[in-house]
Amino acid sequence: MKRGGLQNYIIRRLFYAFLIAFGVVTVTFILLRVGPSSPADKYLANISSRTQDPAKVIEAVEARYGLDRPLYQQYFNYLVSLARGDWGWSFSTSLPVIELIKRHWIYSFQLILLSMLFASSLGILIGIYSAVKQYTKTDYAATFFSFIGISIPNFWLGIMLILVFSVQLGWFKTYYDTGLPLFSLANLKALILPVITLGTGMMAGYTRYSRSATLDNLRKDFVKTARAKGLPEYIVIGKHVFRNAILPIITIIMFDLAGVVFGGAYLTEIIFGIPGLGRISFNAIFANDYPVVITITLIGAMVVLLTNLATDIVYTWLDPRIRYD
Amino acid sequence: MRRITEVFGGRRNLLFSGLLLALLFILLLDLFFVHHIFSPFVYFYLCFALVIVFYGIYPLYVSRRLTRYYWDRTKRHHLAVIGLVFIIFLVAVAIFGPFLTQDPTKVDFPNKNLPPVGFSAEQSTYDRTTGQFITRETPGTWLHPLGTDDKGRDMLAMLVSGTRISLQVGLMATLIAIFIGLILGVVSAYLGGWADNALMRFTDIMMTFPFFLLLVFIVFIFGPSLWFIILAIGLTGWTGTARLVRSESLSLRTRDFIMASKSLGASDRRIVFHHLIPNVLSSVIVIATLSIPGVILAEAALSFIGLGDPTVTSWGLVLQAGQRSLETAWWIAVEPGIMLFLTVLAFNFLGDGVRDAFDPRSQV
Repeated sequence: MKRGGLQNYIIRRLFYAFLIAFGVVTVTFILLRVGPSSPADKYLANISSRTQDPAKVIEAVEARYGLDRPLYQQYFNYLVSLARGDWGWSFSTSLPVIELIKRHWIYSFQLILLSMLFASSLGILIGIYSAVKQYTKTDYAATFFSFIGISIPNFWLGIMLILVFSVQLGWFKTYYDTGLPLFSLANLKALILPVITLGTGMMAGYTRYSRSATLDNLRKDFVKTARAKGLPEYIVIGKHVFRNAILPIITIIMFDLAGVVFGGAYLTEIIFGIPGLGRISFNAIFANDYPVVITITLIGAMVVLLTNLATDIVYTWLDPRIRYD
Repeated sequence: MRRITEVFGGRRNLLFSGLLLALLFILLLDLFFVHHIFSPFVYFYLCFALVIVFYGIYPLYVSRRLTRYYWDRTKRHHLAVIGLVFIIFLVAVAIFGPFLTQDPTKVDFPNKNLPPVGFSAEQSTYDRTTGQFITRETPGTWLHPLGTDDKGRDMLAMLVSGTRISLQVGLMATLIAIFIGLILGVVSAYLGGWADNALMRFTDIMMTFPFFLLLVFIVFIFGPSLWFIILAIGLTGWTGTARLVRSESLSLRTRDFIMASKSLGASDRRIVFHHLIPNVLSSVIVIATLSIPGVILAEAALSFIGLGDPTVTSWGLVLQAGQRSLETAWWIAVEPGIMLFLTVLAFNFLGDGVRDAFDPRSQV
């Protein structure tokens, strides 16, 4: 494959990602400004208890944050400050937003990473196994449970896990203990229930996808050839089929990483009280702390953009048949 | 008359638009002159019913042979039929249930935390005469077959009310999303060039926002009301449909029957309404069925985290109350979750069957 082709492709995609990021920021800005309440009102909701004259406060806030200037200037200022890394000030925690995110992102990251590992490894294994044993009881059971796994609302699953394992059996704490050191067994134990909560739905999805991808490949000629050559079955499945079946699943996993996980992790963090980005923005919503809410929405969008880009690049590396020129 | 009919793309569309306009007129009259004979929801239901009758039941009735074919194919999926039966049951509950149950908002503190029939739970109550808390076993009563919550509200009534809300949100938001996606997809494919590029780049931007995060953001800005949540889900959930419809229309456009129609002198409008849209509809129906559970879950999740409409009793709201009292009353969290789970499962079963039935490549 021509290296130049790939490089050009990546440059083109980066440029494109930049354009979309620009669009995302614009949409966020518009949503914010067409909303019924101005940002100044949201600030006001936080400070009004301490002052006497709300009109004066609005005026002062608008002057301070440039909200009295024309809309295009505000938009421009917004872009400039975002580009300079100035993401605003979170008044409910009295910290710069960027500092707040630096402190908390690791909690979301560990939860998402562990859930992805749990869901993808188990899901792909069960999927391939059930495809190989097609139309057996194991296969039917796997299909049935994957249907249930897809349909079960993950926030309810989380509550049920807490009810059974924490409240009734008392094996775990009902709340995530933030005092635990990050890389410790105790922390890992505390994350078991959240990881199952977030991972079950994804695992069920991967089971289904990898089952159908494996079935597709099992019927191909190269599998017959491999078997005819007398290769042991574990090599036929583990090497020939697996390598081909894994490709579409990787796209889906990357897609999930961006979209589904962000929604699911959000709820999981809220249920278990894990102080990750979801929990922070949840608190920020009720505190009317709007710089935090915007920033986390933007971060979510950026994660989607970057994972999409990464998927395409990883794909060219995994599947040499794909060419971009 | 013929010309007008042509502009609307057929008599059916003309009649539909006329009825819709009439409904809008009555709504405006109601809003500004007569003052709220019906709640705005009634009008929304009527619109919804019109769409179903004109673009769901009528085409199915006209082409009975095709309907029979699809039904036979769907019927082979036993799970899909079970799903359909459960959904019909839910619709019946949503329509008639609220008339048969108690008031879901009626607070009754002496009867709080009653377990469902057949279960009993320990409860501590304050005894006024002795001034002490006494703990005793409380059995469930038939007055509240599914128990009561921490404020003494009847669980059955709340679940029935939640059914109505969930179906409302699920069906209406999906309908809005599908409608937008269908129009944008067809327009994008048909115009091509510059307009197509702009529309698809906009779709990319919308797809870049994680769906739930965007929803939370919008509801945060505009405030929680059921109307707004339906609109927000509808206005953000169209991206997948738009892409699907666009790609299907692009491939349809080069097919022989459309070429033939074009060379016979058919107008663009006729091709779009008579050939393009009817042919993408089967994929659209599949994607609609499969996206309803996501929408229902999104609404439940929104009310669960406290961004739902506080004036209506939805499953998410009950679930939120349930998490608060997990240690005293497990059934408050269990029951709405089971309803939510079964509903999503039923739509997934049905969607799977419908997909196999409508996809001509699949051999069931």
